[in-house]
Amino acid sequence: MSEESIFTNKVKDLYKILCQTEWNATVAGILVGLFSVLIMAWWRPWGAVGAIRNWGDWILYGIAHFSGAEWGFFGEFYDEAPKGILMNSGSVIGIGFVAGAFLSACLGNDFAIRIPPVLEMCKGIVAGILMGIGSTLAGGCNVGGMYNAIGNLAANGFTMWAGLVAGVILGLKYIYWEMEHISWGSGGARTIDFPYAVKVILGIITLAVLIWGANKYAVADSDYVASLCGILVISAALGYTMQRGRWCMVQGFREPHMTGDCTLAKSVALSIAVVAVGAAVLKYEVPMRADGEPVLATINYVRGTFGWGSIVGGFIFGFGAMLAGGCGSGTLWRVGEGQIKLWLVVPFFGITNSIMTNYFRDMELEASGKLGSYVYLPDVLGYTGTIILICAIMALWYLVVTWNEDSGKLIVEM
Amino acid sequence: MSDIKQAPDGLEVARTLDAKGLSCPMPLLRTKKEIEKINSGEILEVLGTDPGSRNDIPGWCSRSGHEYLGEKEDSGFIRFYVKKK
Repeated sequence: MSEESIFTNKVKDLYKILCQTEWNATVAGILVGLFSVLIMAWWRPWGAVGAIRNWGDWILYGIAHFSGAEWGFFGEFYDEAPKGILMNSGSVIGIGFVAGAFLSACLGNDFAIRIPPVLEMCKGIVAGILMGIGSTLAGGCNVGGMYNAIGNLAANGFTMWAGLVAGVILGLKYIYWEMEHISWGSGGARTIDFPYAVKVILGIITLAVLIWGANKYAVADSDYVASLCGILVISAALGYTMQRGRWCMVQGFREPHMTGDCTLAKSVALSIAVVAVGAAVLKYEVPMRADGEPVLATINYVRGTFGWGSIVGGFIFGFGAMLAGGCGSGTLWRVGEGQIKLWLVVPFFGITNSIMTNYFRDMELEASGKLGSYVYLPDVLGYTGTIILICAIMALWYLVVTWNEDSGKLIVEM
Repeated sequence: MSDIKQAPDGLEVARTLDAKGLSCPMPLLRTKKEIEKINSGEILEVLGTDPGSRNDIPGWCSRSGHEYLGEKEDSGFIRFYVKKK
């Protein structure tokens, strides 16, 4: 074999590793943690709800604008246009994330328009509404309310966690029941696939648009808009990584109770520990750096939902995510993969979250402590205590799920 | 998941489960339920469109003791073959 063909083979192997094979869960978990810390260092933590709510705001504003509806919440909250989807940092995170997932799905030949059976579409709508309610109560979805909340050393992340576990178990029981009792709506499934060459071209176009978009943001006059360049790129990296690793948090919560498999549970635990250490570095007031000003305000992503808000919210969100087959982030990368069921989840998630968030803000439910309290863990335990607590809980979770993988004690039987 | 395992030709299938259009976790749950309906040594064929199944079905087989025989790509969907333990 000539040296050139050896090199060509190595290039092909590299392409396969980067773009086609499924990434190992541990690698994906560490990368997601790394990108989560990077986007925090850049500007702000990422989340799925910020995007989904902004899109929901636009849907409701559109309805109010074109139908002239002024009754109830339409007149109260939607008479003025929300911030543009390309100008709101939350929305740009969502767009970058979906684009990254789409790019990965195209290059890996996973993309296809997948139209699910009718029952699944109905479940998607109900799931979207439940996830909208849950994420409002908890102050975020599994990302902003749990993953990045614990990562940002906020106590409300742990309470949402507890709610999520209970919601996921109930959701699993419901699905078992549904398989026995509901036979309606199993028809209508269709898959529209495209030739691989078309997907590769779509992928290259997406990549080009991402690069062009980031550079366009970078030269904007407004500081806010100029900062969006890194947000777009890092969130695309998150979407790419999660699709390539099929990294789904709700699966991490569900699998130990469904099949006993704990691959993703372990990966999520590791990833949270990575983010927590990163956030401690960014939020710590290092005396030598910038006169002791922390890079990130300590209150960033600490929500006033440490209490019943995040427990009940997590429960409703977890149940909804089971019906959807994806959590906040899992829903978005599956959107990029062409799963129509998740395309239905997003608008209903967004509309519900938008309306509820506006009412909650209007009535100052979070600020007045009705949903729970704001607890930044280092204020209570110090940084040492907080990092020890987070790592200890992740280690405990690791032990529980690996013990369960062999003993099967936590598996919910059919 | 590393390289995709191709199923051998001419497998005698005892039962076929149509899970096309279903997304995670439904294809695996239905497979779990359907395998109860065949006898030990018989083969269950699962038709699916969710890319996640490529990971879920072999993974579940190795944990539950059923033998994963591989997959065959059809037009717009994949056929997975599982031999009951």
